Amino acid sequence: MIELSELQDAASKAFPADQLRPERDAAWQLAAEMGWLMMPVSEEAGGLGLGRDASATVLCEMGRVLGTAPLISALLTVQALGEASELTDQQGWIERACAGEYIAMNLDRATISLGAGDVLDATLPAVPDADMASHTLVFGPEFCALVPLDAPGVTVTERHMWDESRRLFDVTVADHTIEPGMFLAKGAAATAIGDALRTGLVLAVAADSLGGAAACLSMTVEYLKTRRQFDRPLAMFQALKHRCADLKIELGAAEALLWARAGDEAATTTDIGSAKVLACDIFRKIAEEAIQLHGGIGLTDEHMCHLFMKRAMLNLQLGGDLDVWRERAGRQVLASFAD
Amino acid sequence: MSDDAHLISLRDEVRTWLEANAPKGWRDAYAGMTHAEFAQAQRDWFQTLVRGGYAIPHWPKEWPGGGRSLAEQKVIYEELAQADCPRLLLSFVSTYHAASTLMECGNDTQKARYLPRILEGETWCQGFSEPGAGSDLASLKCKAERRGDVYVINGQKVWSTMAQYADKCLLLVRTNSEGAKQAGITFLLMDMKAKGVTVKPINQIQGDQEFCEMFLDDVEVPVEERVGEENAGWAVAQATLSSERGLTLMELSYRMRGALRRVAGLIRQHGRENDQGILRDFGQLVARVDSACAIADQFLLNRMNGIERVGDASVVKNTYSRVLREYSLLGLRLGGLEEQTRHAITYGDLNTGNWMADFMNSYAWTIAGGSEEVQRNIVAERMLEMQREPKGWAA
Repeated sequence: MIELSELQDAASKAFPADQLRPERDAAWQLAAEMGWLMMPVSEEAGGLGLGRDASATVLCEMGRVLGTAPLISALLTVQALGEASELTDQQGWIERACAGEYIAMNLDRATISLGAGDVLDATLPAVPDADMASHTLVFGPEFCALVPLDAPGVTVTERHMWDESRRLFDVTVADHTIEPGMFLAKGAAATAIGDALRTGLVLAVAADSLGGAAACLSMTVEYLKTRRQFDRPLAMFQALKHRCADLKIELGAAEALLWARAGDEAATTTDIGSAKVLACDIFRKIAEEAIQLHGGIGLTDEHMCHLFMKRAMLNLQLGGDLDVWRERAGRQVLASFAD
Repeated sequence: MSDDAHLISLRDEVRTWLEANAPKGWRDAYAGMTHAEFAQAQRDWFQTLVRGGYAIPHWPKEWPGGGRSLAEQKVIYEELAQADCPRLLLSFVSTYHAASTLMECGNDTQKARYLPRILEGETWCQGFSEPGAGSDLASLKCKAERRGDVYVINGQKVWSTMAQYADKCLLLVRTNSEGAKQAGITFLLMDMKAKGVTVKPINQIQGDQEFCEMFLDDVEVPVEERVGEENAGWAVAQATLSSERGLTLMELSYRMRGALRRVAGLIRQHGRENDQGILRDFGQLVARVDSACAIADQFLLNRMNGIERVGDASVVKNTYSRVLREYSLLGLRLGGLEEQTRHAITYGDLNTGNWMADFMNSYAWTIAGGSEEVQRNIVAERMLEMQREPKGWAA
């Protein structure tokens, strides 16, 4: 059994903290070489059979360096392939995906219509790095299937994002007939895969946020320790100390909740959503404060501050916005005290 | 028996014992009590726990009910929280602060004299803070002069929890005014019935009298009641203050988790079950309370594995105290005007559902035991390693 701390060490060695936004294609190749894509696949299927906390650990480290490779989507789709009982040559798909063939998925809610003869029309928003993917995974009500991105009727359009550390594409599918062997599952099994993908996305974004938050706070504190005004380091001013301490404390609480939930197989999607609320909220706060505490330099394109801020803002939106999860958590606990 | 099986069996044992022995309906009983009746109820509950073997799980194993591992202590406190038993307030200083001071720094005579009495119900208070020495405790001025076999004490102490019921006091005094302020402090064990000790309870804003002022006029304390050497009391005080690391905040966090039921009750009572704004704020509070539980758990788990980093305890404390404030504020919002009507308070609990009282009580955690601001300094200077200000500012 691989310890989470070993995974974390390996990830931070492969992606050192001082090299933010590593070049995507090299990062992707390195991630595949590290065996990360095998983590969610069961040992019987040739994977490592690690729990969701293992993926979260690696994604947290990628958040720390503003990772550019599409690991959030790739780890989810490779996990779905492991559950794809109806897929022709399932084992071949798993092996190729583990070796680095990228299967994408949409991170925002899709519009899907599957007509007679399995003819698919769909709008799939926010597909990460579709330019390097061979297929995208479409999960609708009662079905889950792979669509080749080079098929006729499939268009791939890049969005111009504020967050420059990630690339998102919109994919449209028109009049595409899904081959019978390209279905991962249908009916209840497909619904289960879809639910797992949605929950996994929430956890993944939360983990990415915690990594980003920790790195951004650390960068800001280091700046305050070196920048001198009024004949002293800025870090010496208690007003600034207390702001940093509050951020550190809130981050600590968010981390504790996320790792407790990631390691708890009984945690519901809403429980993971609560962890995302705290993780994404503190990433946003830290990134927001980072620019203020850096002063003018934080507003320049050459400094890294804005990269964290833009990623934090995007993370708020991926996997369900925070108000949605707050309300669900409220309803869940209200119902638990039913008397 | 495996560790897990052992803990499960302990949990069953504690649960069964609590079903038979925990005071039933104590909240109603405590609500109408005078403060002195509350103190008596606390003594009774402590003695019940001593007999059950659950009062001092953190003491060494030669004591009845002692020798429990941290994991076992956690189970006991979780069950006490789960069963919503009264907390042990009156005996807290005795079983944690006094016991740890004596065990770590006391001599054999002192240990033999005082430790058994604590189990018999002898109550201790702490005489540390002074009107001029709060966060900056080492600047304390209460003076002790050596005259033959006694120290003669003159000065004032404040914020001594439950001192009006105490038999003995852990007292910090100044025996030297020269040099570093930490180097002139001595640690004494003072008899609260000694001549010259005057205790005055402080009326708090919520109507409680949990803290006292203490005036010391020519109080004589025998030299044999000194813990450690003269002028070496600061180090002894560190043993006192680090006696309780994590269990209380774990217990309190889980109590607050259980008390979310009260917030849920208010939401229903006021017909806000489908008020999206309230549901969001409630969900946010739930996430925060759960995070307070998670970080307290993590702190204890780390301790069980021998990991304790500087500042971790400050993060746990500030998380709990902040969330406690958020909890009481949501209750106040939901309760509306009704909560501005004064109701009798329940002594000894932080989540009573008397929301104004709970709100005011929450300051006990943002101010006492090292204020929120002091904790922030610790986090900033010792965890984040932000530079300290130069010392020596003088007006």
